[in-house]
Amino acid sequence: MAATIDISSMDQPVIVITRIFDAPRELVWTAITDPKHVAQWYGGPGFTNPVCEMDLRPGGAWRHVMQAPNGARFTINSIFEEVVRPERLLWRTLRDASRNPSPPTNHNTITLEETGAQTKWMLVSRFDSFADRDLTASMGFGQMISMGLERMAEHLRTM
Amino acid sequence: MPSDRLSATLSALADPTRRGILARLTTGDATVKELAEPYEMSLAAISKHLKVLEAAGLISHGRDAQWRPRHLEAGPLRDVYAWLEGYRHFWDESLDSLAAHLKTMQKRKLEE
Repeated sequence: MAATIDISSMDQPVIVITRIFDAPRELVWTAITDPKHVAQWYGGPGFTNPVCEMDLRPGGAWRHVMQAPNGARFTINSIFEEVVRPERLLWRTLRDASRNPSPPTNHNTITLEETGAQTKWMLVSRFDSFADRDLTASMGFGQMISMGLERMAEHLRTM
Repeated sequence: MPSDRLSATLSALADPTRRGILARLTTGDATVKELAEPYEMSLAAISKHLKVLEAAGLISHGRDAQWRPRHLEAGPLRDVYAWLEGYRHFWDESLDSLAAHLKTMQKRKLEE
């Protein structure tokens, strides 16, 4: 099942991605907070994660190095901000000074919701570097996308 | 893609009138007067918005001095779209792997 980006009601530099897993919430929690499990899936097929260290507590560090199939390595360092087992995990990514320009930093919240034998996984990503530059809550990021991602995509294909 | 350009594009898109103007231009080129029609705004105010869009490289205008129809330049929008797609793709792939990994974890649990 594909992840869906729900940006319809958002007027902020926020992306929401949801997914349903056929697994109990405790198990999903373990899979996303135990580094030995995270290293198994982060990045998707073909990616490996030579470094994944998680100090799972508010203020704790998440040190991560992801390796793409072509060998390129990406360092992603984050700080956990909130850890509420087994339902909520907050972390913010740190600026990667070694990359220029460095990718936008963001605040992430994963919430896990139990729905019978399934678990609803939801990620809310809020991007700082968009907001930094004078882009307030009125930015209309979501609106811009929902204004017609389809129509825009259609148009871009014709170019 | 430079995140600076992404930010500049998003900044230009921060205004509903400007997003409306771009939406209109996806259906074809239009003059300032045509673009101003849906809004209760002076032509000068619309021109100001057009200048912002132009500075961000989102629109251009023709040479015809009298009509100067505005044209959508989709390059910067394509950047935003591509970046978003890349982000979605990263999570899509990761979550596929996570789903598979959860199955393995459950299987192991049953075998214990």
